[in-house]
Amino acid sequence: MKKKIVAVFLCAAMVTGMAAGCGSSSDKKSETSADGNETTELTLLIDTDVTIAGFEAVAAKAEEEIGIKVKIETRPGGADGDNIVKTRLASGDMADLCLYNSGALLNALNPEEYFLDISGEDFVSRIDDNYKSAVSVGDKVFGVPYQSSQAEGIVYSKTLYEKYNLEVPKTWDEFLANCDVLKENKETAILGTFADSWTAQVPFLGDAYNLQQSDPEFAEKFDAGEAKWATTPAALRSFEKLADTTQYYNEDYLATTYDDGCDIMANGEAGHWFILSQALSNIYELYGDQVNDLGVFAVPGDSADDNGITLWYPAALYGNKNSDKTDAILKFMEFYLSDEALDAYSEAVLPDGPYCVKDYEMPDNAYDAVANDIQAYFESGKNAPALEYISQVKGADCPAICQELGSGQTTAQEAAQKYDKDCEKQATQLGLNW
Amino acid sequence: MERKKIYSNWFIVPAMVIFTVFFLLPMVISFFFSMTVWDFNSFTFCGFDNFKTFFSDTSLSSSIKNTLIYAILTCGLKLILAFFLAVFLTSKIKTKNFLRSVVFFPNLISTIAVGITFCALMHPSKGLINQVITMLGGTGVDWLGNTKTALYAVILTDVWKGVGVATVIFIAGMQSIDKTYYEAASIDGATGWEQLKAITVPLSRPAMNSVIILAFISGMRTFDLIWAMTGGGPGYVTEVMASTVYKQYAAGFYGLSTAGNVIMFILIAILAFPLQKFLLSREVD
Repeated sequence: MKKKIVAVFLCAAMVTGMAAGCGSSSDKKSETSADGNETTELTLLIDTDVTIAGFEAVAAKAEEEIGIKVKIETRPGGADGDNIVKTRLASGDMADLCLYNSGALLNALNPEEYFLDISGEDFVSRIDDNYKSAVSVGDKVFGVPYQSSQAEGIVYSKTLYEKYNLEVPKTWDEFLANCDVLKENKETAILGTFADSWTAQVPFLGDAYNLQQSDPEFAEKFDAGEAKWATTPAALRSFEKLADTTQYYNEDYLATTYDDGCDIMANGEAGHWFILSQALSNIYELYGDQVNDLGVFAVPGDSADDNGITLWYPAALYGNKNSDKTDAILKFMEFYLSDEALDAYSEAVLPDGPYCVKDYEMPDNAYDAVANDIQAYFESGKNAPALEYISQVKGADCPAICQELGSGQTTAQEAAQKYDKDCEKQATQLGLNW
Repeated sequence: MERKKIYSNWFIVPAMVIFTVFFLLPMVISFFFSMTVWDFNSFTFCGFDNFKTFFSDTSLSSSIKNTLIYAILTCGLKLILAFFLAVFLTSKIKTKNFLRSVVFFPNLISTIAVGITFCALMHPSKGLINQVITMLGGTGVDWLGNTKTALYAVILTDVWKGVGVATVIFIAGMQSIDKTYYEAASIDGATGWEQLKAITVPLSRPAMNSVIILAFISGMRTFDLIWAMTGGGPGYVTEVMASTVYKQYAAGFYGLSTAGNVIMFILIAILAFPLQKFLLSREVD
């Protein structure tokens, strides 16, 4: 008899346990938003890899001026972060604002389903047109630029260049010749930071200007499924360049991280580093004026007359369509694009390239590499956005494929074929008819 | 035998409901979704395309090979090491209890922490292991960077971490062996090695089987250590099934990642069940 009672109890406990387990998700609505005059609180999901000093400066201003306070929730970057964003979107648990890549990666999120369409708002006209198309799907616009754009090129040590009497290369062959000189003198010719695998993509992705110059229709044909990386010579060239770099890396390049890389470059211990110009900000934060020992040049092409730099567009702030604070979100976005906010931003963080906002001039006190080197490519109009801002498809496994090629495990041809396959998976997922 | 049952069959209903809702149903659904291209809102049926992609894409199929290498090697190494550790730790030594906790200790640390620590120890230029090697006059190895050693470096770490559990199981098994067997054997003049071979090995068979099955399955499913140490790199040389599935999921290829999970499930099932059957059939009482 006793046993029976115990069994019934256990049974009941199990069932109630189950019910309790299912019912805990609905207690979120309790924090009612304050009325008009008080501050409204928005939440923002942001990854830990970006600098937030600038954003915090703007947010502090926003709280004063328009009564909107932004609470930051952090997530990791890279694949883990993508996972969190996708899961939170799918489960309807996204923060009010979300920071995420623009371009092809935004496309893969299915933004129409989740993000606020801002194409009808006045402030959208302030966004640079090229950037606007990178945060649009069809005629719907979704995001505002989080920070300045960046150059995707080669950061080089001016100190080493002076020491060995080198000149900024105009062609890929000249670049390799420079690397040979450094290598012969027992210097690290090219710094590899492959422990953070995204950095392995930069030699390949940074070649986009040259690719678009020699085959202007590639992106379009590629999206249509007609052109492939492995069979288009101009596209294959980008992979070949990455393969060329293999022999010049530092010895422990597969264990060196991006953060290590900033230290190494700042101390003039390596000649070149294929990286985004955001590294300049990181170096500035750590080493101050030593950042001015560094310069930037574009990934050289095969012709000396045509040198242009590849632009990396900033991630964007997107509004959650299903939030109950859409008015506040739009108000915050409008404020974020105002001159006042941009001033506050660039006071806190110097730009790594031009802003994606029309008629907003870069401040005068930018780093040498930005003010002289990158700006020159702009004034001459020799720049192009990276391919993922033009094309809809970017292979998700690009970092691993580039890491594999950069560490000499595959040939350029094999890597290109792998990348084609990887893009095909993406195209299938996007429902493109390849 | 016709004794009336004490409990009504209805008592298994709550457990069955949980089992069905959380195990059976998801399994059936995942079989279905592995044959579709889907996002969270809609799906298109595509037959066995996902499985074809999985096997034809070398970056995906190499993960199957790596998983098998990983499972077999970790299982084998743990088995051998744990056996001899257990023999040592059941013998007459003074610091027995202390040493037993030392052997078990690595298992108490979070896998991620172990991964990060070993990553630092194995750093090619700054890591402790290579510094010791160079101090002794050798040349350091790029443990996790070299494509030939990366997988084995992770395997060794896994063995370091997992050998404690296996040892504890072995110790439990060996302690339950009747001492009189050893006495009888030593009266008959058997050496220590002969006693080990003829008594300890066959009589600790049940423990050995548990160790093999547990180590093999956990080797097949391994993810956290790989993710913390190499992230599947450099390139794809340390990619295992679980990390591939995770990566496909993170990339938004939900159909493909479901297919990967189904393959992993089938692979574990067809390897683990016969293995267990085989091992049980060889147990002696």
